[in-house]
Amino acid sequence: MAGSMVVLDPVAPERNEQQQSRRALDGLTGKVVGFIDNGKPNFNHLVDDLAELLVSKHGVASVVKHRKRGSVPVPDAVLKELSAQCDAVITGSGD
Amino acid sequence: MCSTAFTGLGRGQAKALGYPELPIAVVPHPFGIRTRDELRRLAREIVDDIARLLCEPALQDTPVVAGRLPSDGRAARVEAPEDLEELNRFFVGRRWSDGLPAIPPTPERVARMLHHTRRAPDEVVSMIAPAYGAATVERIAINAVLAGCYPEYLPVLIAAAEAVAAPEFNLQGIQSTTNPGAVWLIINGPIARRLGVNSGNNCLGQGSWANATLGRALRLVLQNIGGGLPGELDRATQGQPGKYTFCCAENEEANPWEPLHVERGFAPESSTVTVVPPLGTWNMNTHAKDAGDILRVIADTMAFPVGSDYVYGGGAPWLVLSPEHAHILKRDGLSKLEVKRRLWEQSKLAATRLSAKDFARVQNGRRAELGEITRDTMLPISPRPECIGIIVAGGPGTHSVYMPGSGYTRSAVTREVVLAD
Repeated sequence: MAGSMVVLDPVAPERNEQQQSRRALDGLTGKVVGFIDNGKPNFNHLVDDLAELLVSKHGVASVVKHRKRGSVPVPDAVLKELSAQCDAVITGSGD
Repeated sequence: MCSTAFTGLGRGQAKALGYPELPIAVVPHPFGIRTRDELRRLAREIVDDIARLLCEPALQDTPVVAGRLPSDGRAARVEAPEDLEELNRFFVGRRWSDGLPAIPPTPERVARMLHHTRRAPDEVVSMIAPAYGAATVERIAINAVLAGCYPEYLPVLIAAAEAVAAPEFNLQGIQSTTNPGAVWLIINGPIARRLGVNSGNNCLGQGSWANATLGRALRLVLQNIGGGLPGELDRATQGQPGKYTFCCAENEEANPWEPLHVERGFAPESSTVTVVPPLGTWNMNTHAKDAGDILRVIADTMAFPVGSDYVYGGGAPWLVLSPEHAHILKRDGLSKLEVKRRLWEQSKLAATRLSAKDFARVQNGRRAELGEITRDTMLPISPRPECIGIIVAGGPGTHSVYMPGSGYTRSAVTREVVLAD
């Protein structure tokens, strides 16, 4: 490059190491599905409707719901409890 | 599940945390305005997709490497144009800049800055949300050079990078929210004088190299290391000017009470940096000349229905008291804690003033703290009076500043500034 100089890159590289393989479920029959509701308007209603349909239409055994407080992280104890109880957990992001 | 406007955030965050194949179901944004019938229809439309995504195997089976730190080696050397205008176009093209001209972070300039710490250049000071990039000492120095910092500013920025990553600060929420939270640096102790950080006239405005470049450097750390790029992982609806730079010192000489760092458990002779995420600044000009009158007008300013702290609770609103107001409060026999107690009591907001949706959010979000919430409930701005933050800063004048809090941060965080000598 004509008239060039060397500068140092200020950007941190992406954390691209995969932490854990996602485990796909071998069907939903008899499984427990969790929802973490982000507390935004209407998401609780969608969670209720999806829960009903997952049970009636897809054979899910039960649904566990946790409604969190706005943009505050879910407490570690709740996360541990959800991962012990559930085969899969669905979280919500957005408005 | 993400609403359409948040799908990029969801995708970027999943990748940053090491789950690039996390399946995301998308619902239309804005979501909160849908009617109950529309939601039922939507649930019927997407439930099969959700069932499919839960059972769909990952594209590739990658071995588990949990607990491994990301690459935290030395920064890459990059060839850039020498011409100043071309160089700045290069910075903008790579999104290294905040939109203002920047100083080239040459290896020589960065090395001069690294002399001001005993920590190794590749030492990881913290991981910066939401991309969780590694803030190495060198990377902090590179961003400080870009922002125009003098080399001796580095220890302040290392302490700031530690502070913003403390879990109670909730940087994840601050960086990726639609709120306009900016990170404000408050400098206390001898370092403030040594570096010339302005605590007097116009301390939150323009004109001081230290205030301007320290605040700017932290913003570049949040953007370049934390991945908080506007419109990408930074989802702010409008943002605020404080996101360019936001830094001042406390006017300790004019403060009739103990300074902030002493209140927070540090020795008077230590130097500290405190990080706070205000949603904005609001001038309070009052010529009141007794404590009761001053507190009444400040409390009235704090009590407005869309102040996020009332909705979320758990937050920490802040006040910058002018030396004149602080002296009247002290003269009338009030300690800083008593000022907080009275403001907490007097700024309670009638729940009936909130919109229906905001009221529902308060009922959900603050039930554990306040019990059953009705339209008659008087909502405190924060869980406890001690959560209200106060510093004394500025020059002569009858102006104090109210800074509403982003209620999802429970606490400001203070860290000591460690010097090399």
